[in-house]
Amino acid sequence: MKFRAERDSLVEVLTTAGRAVGGRGVSNAVLSGLLLHCEGNHLVVTGTDLDLTIRVEHEVIGIEDGSCVVPARLTADIARSLEPGAVTVEGGDEEIEIAAARSRFSLRAYPVVEYPSVTIAEGASLVLPGAMVAEGLRQVVRAASTDDNRPLLTGVLLTEHEGAIRLVATDSYRLALRDLATEGGLVGGHDILVPARALGELQRLTSGGGVGAGAGQEAGTTGEDKGQSAMDVTVSAGDNEITFTRGRVKISTRLLDGTYPDYRQLIPDHYPNRLHLGKESFVSALRRVRLLVRDNTTPVRLSMRAGGVDLSVVSQEVGDASETVDGDFTGEDLVIAFNPSYLIDGVEAVVGDEVVIETAEPAKPATVRASEEDNFRYLLMPVRVS
Amino acid sequence: MAVRGCGARTAAISGEAPWTRVVLHVDMDAFFASVEVLDDPKLSGRAVIVGGSGARGVVASCTYEARAYGVRSAMPSLQAKRLCPEAIFVDGRYSRYAEVSGRLHEIFASVTPLVEPIGLDEAFLDVTGAQNLLGRPELMAGEIRRQVIESLRLDCSVGIGRTKLIAKLASRAAKPRASIRGKEPGAGVVTVGPDEEAAFLRPLPVEALWGVGPATAARLHALGLTTVGDLADVPSSALVHQLGSSPGRRLSELAHGIDRDPVVPGRQAKSIGHEETFPSDVTDRSTLERHAVRMAESVAIQLRASSVRARTVTVKVKSPDLAVVTRSHTLGGGIDTAHSLASVAVALLESVDIGAGVRLLGVAAGGLRDRRAGEQLQFIGVLPTSRGADGDPGGGGGGGGAGSAGGDTAGPGPVDVGAVWERVGSLQEDRREISAAVDSIRERFGAEAVGTAAMVDEGGIVVPRRRGAAWGPADEAS
Repeated sequence: MKFRAERDSLVEVLTTAGRAVGGRGVSNAVLSGLLLHCEGNHLVVTGTDLDLTIRVEHEVIGIEDGSCVVPARLTADIARSLEPGAVTVEGGDEEIEIAAARSRFSLRAYPVVEYPSVTIAEGASLVLPGAMVAEGLRQVVRAASTDDNRPLLTGVLLTEHEGAIRLVATDSYRLALRDLATEGGLVGGHDILVPARALGELQRLTSGGGVGAGAGQEAGTTGEDKGQSAMDVTVSAGDNEITFTRGRVKISTRLLDGTYPDYRQLIPDHYPNRLHLGKESFVSALRRVRLLVRDNTTPVRLSMRAGGVDLSVVSQEVGDASETVDGDFTGEDLVIAFNPSYLIDGVEAVVGDEVVIETAEPAKPATVRASEEDNFRYLLMPVRVS
Repeated sequence: MAVRGCGARTAAISGEAPWTRVVLHVDMDAFFASVEVLDDPKLSGRAVIVGGSGARGVVASCTYEARAYGVRSAMPSLQAKRLCPEAIFVDGRYSRYAEVSGRLHEIFASVTPLVEPIGLDEAFLDVTGAQNLLGRPELMAGEIRRQVIESLRLDCSVGIGRTKLIAKLASRAAKPRASIRGKEPGAGVVTVGPDEEAAFLRPLPVEALWGVGPATAARLHALGLTTVGDLADVPSSALVHQLGSSPGRRLSELAHGIDRDPVVPGRQAKSIGHEETFPSDVTDRSTLERHAVRMAESVAIQLRASSVRARTVTVKVKSPDLAVVTRSHTLGGGIDTAHSLASVAVALLESVDIGAGVRLLGVAAGGLRDRRAGEQLQFIGVLPTSRGADGDPGGGGGGGGAGSAGGDTAGPGPVDVGAVWERVGSLQEDRREISAAVDSIRERFGAEAVGTAAMVDEGGIVVPRRRGAAWGPADEAS
């Protein structure tokens, strides 16, 4: 295998695929590598940890067809450090050579046969606008659990709800849900549970932080008026895996097995108290008082009353802070405390200038949502203070 | 400067180097054994051993008369019996020691608020500031000893130094010695001034330093380093090379008398636990679980008494070949009820192979937080493992938690302890009220007035006391 590529695009391809490669603890050494496959002028780079696979395609100047497996991190680091310009990569089963300008690296490669074959679901089943996917993921993914002891909660539920696709995630302290209006439903119509880690990668990709949709990528995250453009996300679901394709990047992940808890039971159908606030001023105030929080058990107290809310943080070691945010409150005066970071997560996830906080009692879940749109909800359990 | 006259005088006595800090280490002499002698004068002058008298017992404390025969703390009781056949074994009475300890701490508090208790019978006191009020450290040390002797009728030894390490080693040097005639009084108070530190430390064995256990000591000995002086003479880089960067550097500093560890008043226990060696190995899982539930009860009582909640539960299992397995799980929130602790402990035990039998079982609660701190609530009813959503944790006592923990569908192999927490969390509330009621019943009518089914023995309700059987059980027959 031999090809030539421009340095920056090579770095981008290697780091994007490399994000699926596990850290130091990989069980099988070959999994710390990236599979490079070149055919004609078409380079395909694959990284996987067997659960998550990222495959990037890229146009290069192909010289000799073939494959090789290169150490992921080292190769990316080397490519990044090279002089700008053309980079030549040549390799086989034992060795890989990377050369640019007057630099030359010769690295040990992994045997190609040892690289696992990964299943990537193919076939378009659903196409979603990239911007909508980016927004939905930003709102929901962070509510998923990172505790591997609760495997089901480390996933994001994709389910059909009144003609839309609903994303749901919870770590048992908060729950986020977002309905994505789409024309096609889920394949087979049944619920699927996607690991939050894979969706985090998709979020990164769709929010366009410079990571490669390949040629034709615009700077912004807007994919408007393009029909089925490079910004769209194509979803292909198999029995055990799901693949998201955007431009030249495919993110494929094994699905989580199991029945997601019935989150609908958690959503109160009625809230007696409602507080409308300006989103920006509320988030800024929360950020300020959060400065005094040194551990994750110090809550922010919200004292809700007609005319707005008083925020306060009391930290025994550090001191205390208070702040008032004006707003409209209907209901009975109430004091309720939250983990400030969880609350900020929810408020930030709201689209629009105004946020609504609905509450019932100090020990019952509250809801954060937009005042107009009804497609997003963030349920948050309070912190009990005595 | 005038105000600091007393400190300056101390410095003048000990030499030129200034006392940047003055630390006292107060250590009771043969504490548990001395309390037993105090309460039962017939034991006076005898070789008394506090600890488990059974085949698996260990010595918790012994009088100087017993020490004269070579008996030491932490020694297996069988060995102690061989060394000193006439020794009188006494069961420990933890609550009595705790009571005496409370009075000891009142004496400390009259000297300085900067007291860091270590166990029941020793403490570090930072008296740097107290010198202005109470005079030289030797005066304070003498006053503490006088009060201990007069009001507690017990003995203690006090070490004075610039650091905790020096103070601790100094109090050891102040201790009485055991001889065939019994106890030979020691210096009572030993001061090691900054200028005397090197001479004091150098001849001590490396094991005298903190962090040097048998393994480290063996490595140091292999390098020909046997005394603190040897350590001080090699460059710190050599110790770093041998022991790793942080331990190596720390050891080198300690060998030079550098110890930055401050006296932390009221340093909270990092964990609260209870462990017991069984009279005979337990091979039956349900019996083991019953013991776990009983121990969880004891730990929960202590958690509530200390106004803390635990986030981490650890179980420790020692098999007959003395191999130790520990399993722990950190929860999403704090718990302080026996039921919650027991549910997690029992679930953790599921992942331990007890095929060979269990010699010792321990249940400990860590990640302690003040219960007045806020508590993040969880959704009630979100059960990642949907099977048995109605659960049976209400089974409470006996094997209640045990049966339900096996019903997990998620998580191949290891038990999904997280799922247990889901149930535990949702039940915390009810249990908390029950626990509060139990606490107040016990306060009025005694510990044996109420208990879970697992605590019922032939003789009624048996509340495992803190450290009750930690030194090994009596033989079953006795």
